Amino acid sequence: MIIIGEKINGAIPSVARAIAEKDAGFIDNLAKTQADAGANFIDVCASVEDSLELETMKWLIDLVQEVTDTPIAIDSPHAHICVEAMKFCKKPGIINSVSGEGNKIELVFPVIADTKWECVALLCDDTGIPKTAEKRMEVFRKIMEKAKAHNIAPSRLHIDPLVEMLCTSEDGINMVVDVIKDIKAQYPAIHVTGGLSNISFNLPARRLVNQAFIVLAMNAGMDSGIIAPTNQDLMGMIYATEALLGKDDYCMEYIGAYREELFGQKK
Amino acid sequence: MPKMEELKAKVEAGKAKLVPGLVQEALDAGNDAQSILKAMIESMGVVGDKFSSGEVFIPEMLMAAKGMAKGVEVLKPLLAGGSSTSLGTCIIGTVEGDLHDIGKNLVAMMIESAGFEVVDLGVDVPIAKFIEAIKETKNVTLVALSGLLTTTMPALKATVEAIKASGMTGFKIIVGGAPVTPEFAASIGSDAYAPDAGGAAVKAKELVS
Repeated sequence: MIIIGEKINGAIPSVARAIAEKDAGFIDNLAKTQADAGANFIDVCASVEDSLELETMKWLIDLVQEVTDTPIAIDSPHAHICVEAMKFCKKPGIINSVSGEGNKIELVFPVIADTKWECVALLCDDTGIPKTAEKRMEVFRKIMEKAKAHNIAPSRLHIDPLVEMLCTSEDGINMVVDVIKDIKAQYPAIHVTGGLSNISFNLPARRLVNQAFIVLAMNAGMDSGIIAPTNQDLMGMIYATEALLGKDDYCMEYIGAYREELFGQKK
Repeated sequence: MPKMEELKAKVEAGKAKLVPGLVQEALDAGNDAQSILKAMIESMGVVGDKFSSGEVFIPEMLMAAKGMAKGVEVLKPLLAGGSSTSLGTCIIGTVEGDLHDIGKNLVAMMIESAGFEVVDLGVDVPIAKFIEAIKETKNVTLVALSGLLTTTMPALKATVEAIKASGMTGFKIIVGGAPVTPEFAASIGSDAYAPDAGGAAVKAKELVS
């Protein structure tokens, strides 16, 4: 499972405060604790007004790179900001994100074409989030056509099938599971990613819903996630699920992560 | 001897892939095959103890034994005449009527890592087969019987009694398995009991030395 650490995001009030007050120590700590907890990428999202976004991005990325070598996931709804912020990164990371919307792909794909950069692509387009699996797969098909045209291998893409809140869903996550399975069947090397915050929105004891979701989504083929790596229960669940899915010979990864105190050990 | 220390550390850590290379490096550094083997056996002893105390898990023990086995492959040509082990041969099997093999396999592995040649007769082994194997195999110093079910405890007893009655000597009998207790082991006439694979390896060495 590829872990994209989600905690440096200006939409989180404590992070918004740190950005407003230029509290570097707070950001350093978030970067370091996530790296230590096993994050493969550190997501950086400014969530500030447009005029300040690029400079805030630079400030955040610089801080993260001072304390860890873990690559960055540049997280912005603006494709041009993603492309600009690539220049601040010492090594290739992930662009988070493009989608079928507007000209995002046209802005990003040519820039990352001949690099090692990876990219998150959401299955939505100018009409919004498609309601059916068929329509989402249609968006997916168009994304893959463009990826092929720019010579971007499936293994560099993280497809986010877009998980919506469970509490208003008529059939749980069945539709998304179908989408994930279909994607993985067509491109075994591609990554399927997703965030956890939407699924449990407006439900009590959200952690349990998040954990149950990650198990079922991984079973369907999700192998990347935008999550809090410092959440030991969730990390333990991920390691356990990988072992149960036969992706961890002799459970050595699970045991190793336990030994590193990534989960399951009282500190 | 930094190379030997590194080798031992990697065996203990279950870094199976690295062991053969380190064995070769230890040889190149001038260590003889016997002492390298001895070092690995010591490391497995440590792993066995840690397993017995609950400090390491079965997969970690498996990986350690795997590493050791790979290391022994490198040493084999140099340990001419099969003198690689001084502790003799252990005949091991799960008794008749019992199909459990995981625990028995772990014990076989640990006993092998302790320096025995191991002949594994598998599971559901009839008494006659044990007797025959002891007769046909050279230098048998240990017979290890596993029984995991309360319903196969009588078979353990019958097997031990039959081996004793056969008149063959020169070896010790060790028994184990979930329902087996030290008291039961003694009552059926076996020489020793161990609660787990790590303990079995330690006991096995004690019995034949």
